[in-house]
Amino acid sequence: MNTRTRSFTPWYQRKRTRDIALVACFLLPSLAIFFLYRILPLLWNLVLSFEYWSPLKPAKFAGLDQYREIFLEDDVFWQSLTNSLAFVAAAPFAIALALGIALLVNSDLKGASVYRAIVFISYPLMSVAVGIIWKWLYDERGGIINYALRSAGLVTKPIPFLQSFDYALPSVIVAEVWQVIGFYMIILLTGLQSVPPHLYEAASVDGVPRWAQFWRITLPLLRSSLFLCAVIGILNSFTSFDLIYVMTGGGPGHATELLVTHIYKTGFGQTRFDYAAALTVVQFILLLALTWLANRAAGGNAGAHDTGRA
Amino acid sequence: MRTKPLSIVLRHGALVIVCFIMLVPFYWVIKTSITNENIYAYPPRLLPEAPHLFNYVDVWYFIPFARYLLNSVIVSAIAVAGNVVFNAMAAYALTKHFVGKQSVMLLFLSCMLVPFQATIIPAYLITAKLGLLNTYLGLALPLMSTIVCIFIYKAAFEAVPQSLIDAARVDGLKERQVILRILMPLSKPAVATNVILAFIWSWNAFLWPLIITREPIMQTLPLGLARFLSYLEDTTGALYAFAVMVLAPSIFVFLMAQKEFIRGLTSGATKG
Repeated sequence: MNTRTRSFTPWYQRKRTRDIALVACFLLPSLAIFFLYRILPLLWNLVLSFEYWSPLKPAKFAGLDQYREIFLEDDVFWQSLTNSLAFVAAAPFAIALALGIALLVNSDLKGASVYRAIVFISYPLMSVAVGIIWKWLYDERGGIINYALRSAGLVTKPIPFLQSFDYALPSVIVAEVWQVIGFYMIILLTGLQSVPPHLYEAASVDGVPRWAQFWRITLPLLRSSLFLCAVIGILNSFTSFDLIYVMTGGGPGHATELLVTHIYKTGFGQTRFDYAAALTVVQFILLLALTWLANRAAGGNAGAHDTGRA
Repeated sequence: MRTKPLSIVLRHGALVIVCFIMLVPFYWVIKTSITNENIYAYPPRLLPEAPHLFNYVDVWYFIPFARYLLNSVIVSAIAVAGNVVFNAMAAYALTKHFVGKQSVMLLFLSCMLVPFQATIIPAYLITAKLGLLNTYLGLALPLMSTIVCIFIYKAAFEAVPQSLIDAARVDGLKERQVILRILMPLSKPAVATNVILAFIWSWNAFLWPLIITREPIMQTLPLGLARFLSYLEDTTGALYAFAVMVLAPSIFVFLMAQKEFIRGLTSGATKG
């Protein structure tokens, strides 16, 4: 009744309704995709993880059985968790290295942009191909790494890097770092360029030595960029499926198994969707917890504003 | 200049070493791909002897390379088109004021926290329910809209002066025309970023195609590469020729549009 007093156009023709309809239509495709491939999977994972279910059997409530199996009976889970944490532990070294390169490239050095491009180029490449390249570099006969080590007289017999229980994980980590380091460098470079130069000038006038300037000015102002790098490092540690799949397939044994390859194998190798879903829930919670920790370490909501700027 | 020449030399030295490490893998794989004889001969030669391109020809005979390439191109094209159109629509909607805008934004931001790898099991089941296993649409669908790219568009649209849009309305342009004739042409860098990111993500995607394509005829290049590796590992340099051919488009795109590329990837950082 209100409608009639306000105007004579019916509700479906009014501008306000049309605007809302327009907004809804425009948001619909993206929202549908995110609902189907982000939100629904998250909820479905949670539901599946409390069930016994396979495509041919009706679901049965399982309580915490799947989780009990993960934590008490699944050695591969613990092994892949340790491996992921080893990946995480390597991230600070990679980030420090990237920071070093970024500092070198950030100056008015001639050809800095060429160096930058070369360091960055490995990042946007297909990880499957990168895995194949590195597998070849590590090869016992055709690989350049063994050849270099033998020519230098450091080893007498070739090292089977990817087949050895001791070397496989570090070898894969090196390949991963090689691919991602350029990206860390670019992020840190963006951070460095946003440090106001007058801070350094003022410090120089006050006679502050260069190393102290780095420690007191550069590092604190880079905090959000460093946090962003840490988050990417953590994410990669849990999710670099492609490299592992191609280089070692998780082997030898489970020496290079990550949670994501373990999930893939249980889900699609053994068709245990319910158990794989429970593993995914654990993985997701671990990721959130680690990201939160990194955020705390960086001091508050660092990184949030850094993502949109370039 | 304040900086001493010695320190400049040292800096160049350090960077040359870093670049050397970054480039050696490329050199080694290219060298292997044009090496004639047994690639497992020891000691390996540092320079290829009598380089030739037979391996590049072999690739076409060993595997259905053309088919993989076609599949990859189609999937990437769908993903790029989806990102350019859907993201622009969503971003335009987000520049308007409406009830529930805050919740939509919050929803988008929380979706960013969900890595794709944490969705594979249900995503597979959902795609199976939709009947999209082994189809191009199924391969491209999860990649057809990305939150980061929506925000890139949104920032670009918001930078367009409101007076321009109002003037266009006065001239009788409809919403669709406002987007197509005013906003998009003024947001070319955002469009470029969308195209580049969508291309790279779909071109490189491996885990998703691995899960949902069981038929070799629907597989994309990364899957072909992985299959090749497992079947023909010990025989030939063609595998490395294949790898070089697959990497070439990304390197080409990178060299052509370095600036957009780096900007896009830094703003798309959290997509992972």
